Amino acid sequence: MNVVEITKIPPKESGWLITLLPAVLIIWGYVGVYLFQLAIDSTGRGRGERQVQELAYFPSGVALREVAIEYREVFADYIWLTAIDYYGRHLETDRRYEWLGHIFEILTSLDQRFIGAYHFGAITLAWDAHKPAEALKLLFNGMKANPLNWQLPFDAGFINYMLIGDYESAARLFQVSAKMPGAWSLVVRWVPYALARSGDFETARQMWRELYNSTENRKLRELIIRQLRWLKLEEGLAQIQEAVNQFREKEKRLPFSIQELVFRGYLKDIPEEPFGGRYFLDGDKVRTTTPPSRQAGDI
Amino acid sequence: MFNRISGVAVNTFRESLRDRVLLALIIIAVIVMAGAKVIQPVAMGEAEKIIKDLGLSAITLFSVLVAVLVGGRIVYREVEKRTIYLLLARPVRRLEFILGKFIGLMLVLLVSLSLMTIGFYLVLLITRVRPEPRLLWAVVMTVFELALLTAVAVLFSTFVTPIASAVFTFMVYFIGHSTYLLKQLAAMSPSPIVKFIALFLYYLLPNLGNFNIRGDVVHGAPLNPAALLLSIGYSIVYTCTLLLIAIGVFNRRDF
Repeated sequence: MNVVEITKIPPKESGWLITLLPAVLIIWGYVGVYLFQLAIDSTGRGRGERQVQELAYFPSGVALREVAIEYREVFADYIWLTAIDYYGRHLETDRRYEWLGHIFEILTSLDQRFIGAYHFGAITLAWDAHKPAEALKLLFNGMKANPLNWQLPFDAGFINYMLIGDYESAARLFQVSAKMPGAWSLVVRWVPYALARSGDFETARQMWRELYNSTENRKLRELIIRQLRWLKLEEGLAQIQEAVNQFREKEKRLPFSIQELVFRGYLKDIPEEPFGGRYFLDGDKVRTTTPPSRQAGDI
Repeated sequence: MFNRISGVAVNTFRESLRDRVLLALIIIAVIVMAGAKVIQPVAMGEAEKIIKDLGLSAITLFSVLVAVLVGGRIVYREVEKRTIYLLLARPVRRLEFILGKFIGLMLVLLVSLSLMTIGFYLVLLITRVRPEPRLLWAVVMTVFELALLTAVAVLFSTFVTPIASAVFTFMVYFIGHSTYLLKQLAAMSPSPIVKFIALFLYYLLPNLGNFNIRGDVVHGAPLNPAALLLSIGYSIVYTCTLLLIAIGVFNRRDF
């Protein structure tokens, strides 16, 4: 054995347990992190809700604009994703959209040309959050920042026509929209409808269908499908109600059932109930077995 | 003279390319841009806008980081490693040294910017977003923003440590994007002194907002050629002025 061999210290043989220990600890560490996160999530509000609450600290988007410097559009995109998440979560739970208007106000202050945000924000605010005035405010802000865009005055006209019943404003806004570059050719057709104050179902259905075809936003499409179903329900109720009124006028009594209206020729057939329920007579009024909560939410 | 400047520039370029920070930043930028693919299904019809915004912003942000982090230590490193003695012992004037350093760093930025832009267009192709050539205008304007910012970083690098230089350059970057507030203050304030000071600072500090046209190119808004040309001219004049100050400061230093 020479000197080199004597001075060589044989390497310590580490057991397989020692070798595996760091990997095992890391895996257990992640399991621990996962369990903690589960526990944190179960304590109450999730991250999504906190994000929205954090936005509430900003009275408007002006403060955020300054912080975001030249990255305002990216901040706006992030808030857009937050808004979609907030809307989707509340649509599936309590259907209360307390912060929706605020979120869209901040979003559009950061990116004043984000037409998709004005469009989606206004429609959801008007129909789901039942805040048409807030929706119109959002759209008018958008019109100030984007005076040549046709979609925003169209949406404002649409809300005035369908929800508020201000037909003069609706006609004026449709006129403005029709003059803008790239406007739908159909917009101009809705000016006389609005002026004639005609709230017929076919026109409303056509408007919703146009909106449906114009967007790739899945959430917005779901809202439109809900509105189209609701419209069909309203149309069915109105048809049967008219038949009941005619029956009472001619027969001097109320019909026993809706089938009697069909049997006696007052109604061609019983309209389809779009939510899977059934129409029935409640005295001289026509009603449906579908509860109002289902009419508002289900697709 | 030009040979000496190009010598320093080429060396700076080669040295910076070996810098791991640069490579890491380029890789992170491309990963961030590719991250847009994940956002696509949840963007609700706005994926195209988000992918473009994210890509162009990542290019700017990571290039700014390169300019600040690499530029901030570009001169200081030579002093710290004492390689400056070797350089200045040769017939290289301090003016040539500073200009060479600046040009070298600009070359590095152009290469990293080009790589990130190629990455961005690849992301557009992968995500099936129209790769409009018009988007390149935003990158071109970023080059001129970076030139100005690099000159700021080189100036600080001549007399403060890299960390201090990075902090100061970031401050200038942040302020440079908020100078319009000074103009608003001047318009709103009834006091002539406040008006004067606000306007003085508005024209003195670099206005980096001039170079941000990303919103315009993404939203398809018309670009104003006169404004673009004037902004390019502004960048050139401001950059030259800052480099002159940097040369002046560097000339006064004793080694």
